[in-house]
Amino acid sequence: MNLLLLALIIYCVGAITMLLPKKIELMAHYIAQACAIVASGLVLYKAAFYLLMPSEELLLDTGWGVYTLQADSWSAAFLCLTGLAGIVISIYAIDYAKAFLGKRLRILGGLWNVFLLSMVGVLLAGDAFTFLLTWELMAVSSFLLVNHESEKKETWSAAFQYLVMTHLGTAAIMIGFFIIASGADSLTFADLARSKISPVMQNIAFVAAFMGFALKAGLVPLHVWLPNAHPAAPTHVSALMSGVMLKIAVYGFGRFVFQFFNGFVEWQGILVLVIGLISAFLSVLYAIMEKDMKRILAYSSVENMGIIFSAIGTGMILMSIGYGRLAMVAFTGALVHSFNHSIMKALMFMASGAVMHATGSKNIEKMGGLIKYMPWTACFTLIGSMALAALPLTNGFVGEWLTLQGFATLATRADGHLLRLLAAAAFLLFGLTGALALGCFVRLYGTAFLGKSRSNIVEKAHEMPFFMLLGMGIETVLVVVLGFIPGPLVETLQGVISGGRFNTTMADNFGIIWGGTGSYAIFSPILLGSSLIVIFLVIYLAYKIGGSFVYQDVTWNCGTYPTERQQYTATGFSKPLRRAFSFLLKPKREAIYLRKENAYFGKQVQYKLAVPDQFTERLYAPFQKHLVMTASVLRKIQQGSVRLYIGYAMVALIIVLVWGAM
Amino acid sequence: MDIIMQNLGYSFLQAFLLLAFAPLITGIIKKVKARLQNRIGSSIFQEYLDVYKWWRKPTILTPETSIIFIIAPFVYFATTFLAALMLPNLLGGKVAFGDVFVFVYILAIGRFFMALSSMDAATAFGGMGGSREIYISVLVEPAIMLAILSNLLRSGSTMLGNMAFDYTGVAFSVATVLTCIAFFAILIAENSRIPVDNPDTHLELTMIHECMLLEYSGRLLSLIHLTSMFKLAMFLVLFSMIYLPIELPLVLKVLLSAVSVSIIETLNNKMRLFKVPVYIATTMILLVLAIVAQ
Repeated sequence: MNLLLLALIIYCVGAITMLLPKKIELMAHYIAQACAIVASGLVLYKAAFYLLMPSEELLLDTGWGVYTLQADSWSAAFLCLTGLAGIVISIYAIDYAKAFLGKRLRILGGLWNVFLLSMVGVLLAGDAFTFLLTWELMAVSSFLLVNHESEKKETWSAAFQYLVMTHLGTAAIMIGFFIIASGADSLTFADLARSKISPVMQNIAFVAAFMGFALKAGLVPLHVWLPNAHPAAPTHVSALMSGVMLKIAVYGFGRFVFQFFNGFVEWQGILVLVIGLISAFLSVLYAIMEKDMKRILAYSSVENMGIIFSAIGTGMILMSIGYGRLAMVAFTGALVHSFNHSIMKALMFMASGAVMHATGSKNIEKMGGLIKYMPWTACFTLIGSMALAALPLTNGFVGEWLTLQGFATLATRADGHLLRLLAAAAFLLFGLTGALALGCFVRLYGTAFLGKSRSNIVEKAHEMPFFMLLGMGIETVLVVVLGFIPGPLVETLQGVISGGRFNTTMADNFGIIWGGTGSYAIFSPILLGSSLIVIFLVIYLAYKIGGSFVYQDVTWNCGTYPTERQQYTATGFSKPLRRAFSFLLKPKREAIYLRKENAYFGKQVQYKLAVPDQFTERLYAPFQKHLVMTASVLRKIQQGSVRLYIGYAMVALIIVLVWGAM
Repeated sequence: MDIIMQNLGYSFLQAFLLLAFAPLITGIIKKVKARLQNRIGSSIFQEYLDVYKWWRKPTILTPETSIIFIIAPFVYFATTFLAALMLPNLLGGKVAFGDVFVFVYILAIGRFFMALSSMDAATAFGGMGGSREIYISVLVEPAIMLAILSNLLRSGSTMLGNMAFDYTGVAFSVATVLTCIAFFAILIAENSRIPVDNPDTHLELTMIHECMLLEYSGRLLSLIHLTSMFKLAMFLVLFSMIYLPIELPLVLKVLLSAVSVSIIETLNNKMRLFKVPVYIATTMILLVLAIVAQ
């Protein structure tokens, strides 16, 4: 039997642990996590073999055209990512989920396995029916996991918002599938790829599929559920949702784009690129305004999905204007960034879980100085923050560099001012996004881990138990290793994109080279890293020679002792940006001065600030309001009286009869 | 392999020479500025003495600081030096560290750590400096990207070595002149000079870059000041090589641009912090025009 099918069975075993008696709750939790680790390990191990396979392999064929499972190189790339994240986050969850002891821990462990099973299922699906079935399972199991702490009102409402939104997405994907299937012999992917439909229908299918997957990926303006749902879930679930589930949307979109559509029109690529860029920029702008650690990370996920989709869009434009070979760099960039983002975002969510575990709060304004209480977590978070700020020598930069090369290729190859200005807009928004992401993570790390503690919740902070540190440690090592030696990963994923058809390779052990802009561009992190280490050592030796005299003393504070309230807050830190971008953010500011007898001294000031998501405020809230209003008007004809309904039937009958007579 | 090591050696030598001359360039800027303001001014070698003075002094650390505060100046120096290694090599040979995107993002590592260190000492002014530094960088970074794109359309490459003018074709055109003006404006903002920031002020409320360094002293401060001068020199060299479309020896071009910095600093006041977006937007419009003109 294929090991991937065995992995599915082991996930099922893990799921059954939720039926074990409550007395052995902890044991059930251990079994569930062990099953998840073993099965994910099998997925990772087996999928690695499929990575460079030229054609797909059927794993399970019922012969009915439904319930088929298959794997090809495109799904194998995402299976590897899922398997890796599954192993590491399950290790972390061994200790983390113990916090839920007595709070439906068995259900948490069981659903964890169902969630992993459904994601592997989506990736293995070989026909539209199985795809939609497992997609729905993924939506429902993740909804139940988000809603785990349903006693809290905000969790409950976030979960139901997620449920509604994700079903809209499923409906859109279903429309996409059915339009394509209308011109095909059966629902299997192989037949759908040979589907013959008119260009108009193909355009409709494209828009429907893009909407569905963009909703799952959280692209603007369909992102509103994501910053609510991801933070509401238990942290290890958030890590898996941001790290893996968003990438499943990339997988699905890629499946449509690469397999079902033969050739694109230019506007399709432009649409994807523009939506991706706007998502990246706006979400990181909201991220730098947030003070809830998990919401910051959730918005950052939208940003990175935006970058991935803008890379895909660039590749699609290049293909549509006849540079199919050069589109490779953008598609490879998207895939590499998907892989790397799943690692670094899982790391950062696990770190936020550690901080919550230590302080009991998600609000960074209440933290400060955590680096002294939890040095290991602080070290891991620093590296994760650097990766999410896309700094070179971490893995976060590799995909962004490839994406930038894609933009550069588009700019040099484009003829006509439209595409050139589009490339200019891409450079501009990418620059803004990069700088804002850097600021966002400086702010997050500086407020939570550095300085003085801002409240007494920090005093009880402590270092994390072993398995949580192990989970974060593995991801940190991966972030650094893939940042220093990205060559093998890029080469493999390039092979996935090109299907082994091209002989030119972009990467070796020294670095990456790209010649698509007409000249060549090189990025050699190993050379950069080794030079950096040499420079660092030399300057450190120079610093130590002659014995620099160091002593400690309190900062000069105009004669008073500095208190923790005098340091900059996270809200203050982003104030200049809030002001500069106020035309987009529309912050709500309210200052109330409660004056006593003396108007100048001893007055109390209440200051409120909110930066609500403008899409919720201006798009969804009015829509919801009008929906409810229309429903309440329509309710008047639903009186519940049988005679009235018979009357309605009568009136309808008469109208039909009159119409028929005419 | 020998060739690579030899070229690597050349790159290190060139970066080291630039480091050695960096305080002199800052000294010249200060001297020219003083003369333009009818002052005698200090010697052009004063910056060397300042760096040496701070290097000898003891370092005082605030009790709140963590390891980040100590390593930040080292990271700032090391990444700036690494960026200098990537400059086009005048002594011959090319080393493939990376292209201009890597150059920009390498400098971001230094900024990341300096901004973190500003929040480490738990004071109001430090955080203010870090906040403003991030604000300025958010405004400047898109302009830098557009400047790169404008050059890419002219030279067809993102490698710094190939982006330099070779004067075989037409160097002097509408696009190159607009890009040149725009990049000079970016250079001023990126290196915290007047009119965006004032490096010589002593009032914390008006400072940006210097504000982040308030808690530093001794060798760490010396290292940061040396790095800031190094970064300015590096940007002047980069500007001269890649964006200044005049055929002159490099030393003269660098001196010319240094004197231009002095003149601009004399003619302008520091602008209000919230006027900077207008300044950068003007730069970006010039760059978009340059991009369309090609």
